[in-house]
Amino acid sequence: MLGLPDASVWLAYLLSIGGAILCIVYGAVYWNRDD
Amino acid sequence: MTYVLLGLIVYIIIMVALSYIGYKNTRNSGDFLLAGKKIHPVVMALSYGATFISTSAIVGFGGAAGQFGMCLLWLTVFNIIAGVFIAFVVFGKRTRKIGHELGTNTMPEFFAVRFGSKFMQGYAGLLIFLFMPIYASAVLKGIVDYVSQYTGISFGVVLIVLGLLAAVMVIFGGLKGIMYSDAFQGGILFAGMAFLIIYTYSILGGIVGAHSSLSVLPQMPGVAEQIGGLAKIGFTGWTSMPKAGTPLWWNIVTTLVAGVGIGVLAQPQLSVKFMTVKSSKELNRAVLSGGIFILFMTGVAFTVGALSNVAFYNATGKIAIVAAGANDSIIPVFIRDFLPKWFGGAFLVVLMAAAMSTLNALGHTMGTALGRDFLKQSLNLKTDTIKLTKIAMIIGLLISIIVAWLSSKLDVSMAIIAIGTSLFYGLCASAFLPVYIAALYIKKFPRGAAITSMLTGSVSSLFWLFFVQEKTAASLSLCKLLFNTTSIVKGTPLNTLSMVDAIVIGLPLSFIAAGLAWVIIGNAKENKSVM
Repeated sequence: MLGLPDASVWLAYLLSIGGAILCIVYGAVYWNRDD
Repeated sequence: MTYVLLGLIVYIIIMVALSYIGYKNTRNSGDFLLAGKKIHPVVMALSYGATFISTSAIVGFGGAAGQFGMCLLWLTVFNIIAGVFIAFVVFGKRTRKIGHELGTNTMPEFFAVRFGSKFMQGYAGLLIFLFMPIYASAVLKGIVDYVSQYTGISFGVVLIVLGLLAAVMVIFGGLKGIMYSDAFQGGILFAGMAFLIIYTYSILGGIVGAHSSLSVLPQMPGVAEQIGGLAKIGFTGWTSMPKAGTPLWWNIVTTLVAGVGIGVLAQPQLSVKFMTVKSSKELNRAVLSGGIFILFMTGVAFTVGALSNVAFYNATGKIAIVAAGANDSIIPVFIRDFLPKWFGGAFLVVLMAAAMSTLNALGHTMGTALGRDFLKQSLNLKTDTIKLTKIAMIIGLLISIIVAWLSSKLDVSMAIIAIGTSLFYGLCASAFLPVYIAALYIKKFPRGAAITSMLTGSVSSLFWLFFVQEKTAASLSLCKLLFNTTSIVKGTPLNTLSMVDAIVIGLPLSFIAAGLAWVIIGNAKENKSVM
């Protein structure tokens, strides 16, 4: 995957990007929410 | 050299202007301590990010990735999920709400008012003041290493000049000036790191090409001899995890990943940022930019650090740690030798921004911890808060400069910057995290249990750092002085424990102590009304 043979590393690579996407989606969905 | 000077002059002019604007707008101690509680969400996110990310993350942990490989990306996962998402959504919103209701300005004060204990405020303040200089010195060492590598000026001279510059900036403005200059520095950081990753991938044959080259590097001629020492302690390559249970595995998993990854949730200089926005809406918005920002900071630093091995090997036949000479030199030497000349100068400004924004916040936190929390609130000293805080800031930064100078005398093969950083992060987690969670979410948590948890976590952690964990105990030297060994378990059947990080011991003990004390004491009768 992505030139990285070991799952323990490509998973971290993808989860880093996934984590940033989670933050973007959360921020966009709750943009105007004051809870 | 021209690029460096030009970059630095522009940087300093903008910084002085922003500090001055903050200084002019700082009218009272609320402005000074909390920036008036009306900070824009993007400014808040960048300020939080720029404080969290320092030269320690880029040079220190980037260098560690150069030596140990891309498995350090697990720390980036923690940085984003825990350091941004959980920190803002689970901790940030409640901290802002309860902090505003209780009228608190600092983390120790937050605990003190929430649990009605002056002792907690004084103890937490003193703990922060005594151990934050270790973290601040690691941040300082990161920038001083780079500047002295780049200009050839000696470590000591650069340290004094930059230490004084940090002191001037901290004294000049309160938190308001810091927040604005942080946002500016966060912008510089983002641009610099974005260029660094794009350029690195492009010279190494794209994403897949670069990763593939790094994967096969251990089989290349001449590499096996260079990684012999590392392989003995568990190293298996730059694109795989070290062998489980080996010294390197313990170091990466418990110290570098868990220490900083979890410790970020209980950082006094970061939690105070949550109190600077006026509603939880700003925190929701800050999550969006915070996640991207951290990905571009540690994600880039760790990936580039690991990939630098390919560039060094192709050019010199040596791996990064051998070519650069020391763990903390890998990133500076990689940039000096493989990136365009102008970028070396520009990156110096990037690192200045990373170091100064963090040092500013650390100076501010050390100052309020000693000046306001310990001396004024806990010991009832009758002096003006701002004056007392500024004197305490200078003392804190001076101690940090001395510790940075001492740390430059340690063994260069150690990841000195990364270890100093995770020491403080782990200590904060053990001392403050259970109490912090209880303060935010458990209404009936009693004061006695909070004090028990804070004392258990901090004392067990400090004992472990000074006497058991060999990496820290050897550097702190007290164990050597008392028992003439670098760890009290060394050479005994319990030898494995000398590789285990203090957070693995201190944090669970702190949680257990909190739970046991709560069962014994029973629910609190009356704490400050919150929630």
